[in-house]
Amino acid sequence: MIRVRQLRKVFGTASSAVTAVEDLSFDVEPGAVTGFLGPNGAGKTTTLRMILGLVTPTAGTATIGERRYADLPNPSGTVGAVLDKSAFHPGRTCRDHLRVYARMGGYPDSRVAEVLDLVGATSYAHRQARGLSTGMRQRLNLATALLGDPRVLILDEPSNGLDPEGIAWLRRFLRDLAEQGRTVLVSSHVLSEAEQMVDHVVIISRGRLVTAGPLTEVTRHGTLEQTYLALTGAGATA
Amino acid sequence: MTTMTTMTRVTTATALMSAEARRLSSTRLWLWGLLGALATGGLVFLLAMVGPENFDPPMPGLATAAGTQMLLGMAGLLAFVPALLGTTAVTAEYRHQTITFTYLFAPRRGTVLAAKLSVYALAGLAYGVIVAVVAGAGLVVAASVHGVSLGLPTSDVVGFLVRLVAMMTVYTLLGVAFGALLRNQVTALVVLGGYFYMGETLLLLIPGVNAVYPFLPGGASAGLTGFTYVAQAVSQSGISTPHLLSAPLGALVLLGYVAVAAVLAFGTSLRRDVT
Ligand SMILES: Nc1ncnc2c1ncn2[C@@H]1O[C@H](COP(=O)(O)OP(=O)(O)OP(=O)(O)O)[C@@H](O)[C@H]1O
Ligand SMILES: [Mg+2]
Repeated sequence: MIRVRQLRKVFGTASSAVTAVEDLSFDVEPGAVTGFLGPNGAGKTTTLRMILGLVTPTAGTATIGERRYADLPNPSGTVGAVLDKSAFHPGRTCRDHLRVYARMGGYPDSRVAEVLDLVGATSYAHRQARGLSTGMRQRLNLATALLGDPRVLILDEPSNGLDPEGIAWLRRFLRDLAEQGRTVLVSSHVLSEAEQMVDHVVIISRGRLVTAGPLTEVTRHGTLEQTYLALTGAGATA
Repeated sequence: MTTMTTMTRVTTATALMSAEARRLSSTRLWLWGLLGALATGGLVFLLAMVGPENFDPPMPGLATAAGTQMLLGMAGLLAFVPALLGTTAVTAEYRHQTITFTYLFAPRRGTVLAAKLSVYALAGLAYGVIVAVVAGAGLVVAASVHGVSLGLPTSDVVGFLVRLVAMMTVYTLLGVAFGALLRNQVTALVVLGGYFYMGETLLLLIPGVNAVYPFLPGGASAGLTGFTYVAQAVSQSGISTPHLLSAPLGALVLLGYVAVAAVLAFGTSLRRDVT
């Protein structure tokens, strides 16, 4: 479903160039939760943003069902994305935020109440974004991603700021989505959490692929954490 | 996950415009717009009540053609307010990162800018109409309070008010287009404000440049409103100013600048990575 081929991204110009992603290829299949793992600065966010058409690759391609994101006939109805930065106008209420994007995607306003319910945000939907806690923002992010009932979900550190209950809820939620046959790609560097959440892993380090495959296969010589540390040599920072 | 029973998708252009209208109405920006328009119109009323003959130095009064025209021209000088609001509308998307969701929902970035320009053309028009109605009514009220009749025939007053509406609309669009190009509210403000209040006056000091003055943004604005401090100051300084453009041509030239800024934005800023 998601196909990444020889992806490369260099930020900046000659003197200050940073190679964020280098010769990266992997596939993400439907019907499973795929964990996208790697140390800080490994290039996870950059890769996800390239898949979503927000960042232009220096080389290589990223496609979703054979099409580049910008060429999808109905992007928000195909892919839902949660990114790592808060992206709300502080003075707009949660409900109004969703109503703006419901309009943009061409979805009926009744869908706003549905997604608010789905992520458990109805109780604070009337509040302005400026007063929301990190976890509340994360749920509103997810609600925005779900507006178009997409078959593909791409989530950058979605458990950031969620309390233990929230994390357990997210785990079940993503599991349900995958069981419905959707494609779920979720980045994380909380490995203990990822281990319980994902079926497949794609591990990158310094912009390059380290390993990819079913969790059981990748971790046959130890826990995910042991395997990850051995493969990325990232030390204990994760 | 619940399935959506009715996922009727409206056509993209309407959807984008409708979303932009919602974006505008769901923060305080529209309220600032309303206040700005009322204040601009209100200023004309206030100055008319004081009476230009009581200014320091005294100016031609309300009963003279020059006095009436000058008061309406004052409102034109405040066209930077809707420009600022238009700029704010666009740059807020970058400032608060909502541009990320916006491009996720509408990855063809040019269509987003086109939708914003369309919606803000209407918003700027509404702004201008409020200014014109308040200013026009203010003049009439002030004239009757002073027991004089306006120095211009009604048709001329209406003509100047229509020019004001056009001025406010076009300046809103200038704000939107430059906001899209420069992406930063303060930068856009400094560039637009600096140009209109200083840059162009300085440009006119270069020999020969005043020949193209009618086509520069300030000169075209003067053609549109039929009033400018700059043109008057320059003519008083002895430098000959070429004839200003007619109002419709002035508006067209200004729209040309909007188009140039929008196309430049499309070719540069809109292509930038959203990180
Ligand atoms: N806009 C940018 N300009 C310059 N360099 C950038 C930009 N965005 C990312 N980078 C660099 O690219 C590299 C990869 O960053 P990225 O955010 O993709 O990593 P990550 O795996 O998401 O890290 P984290 O786990 O901390 O979120 C880093 O070296 C980062 O500094
Ligand atoms: Mg990241």
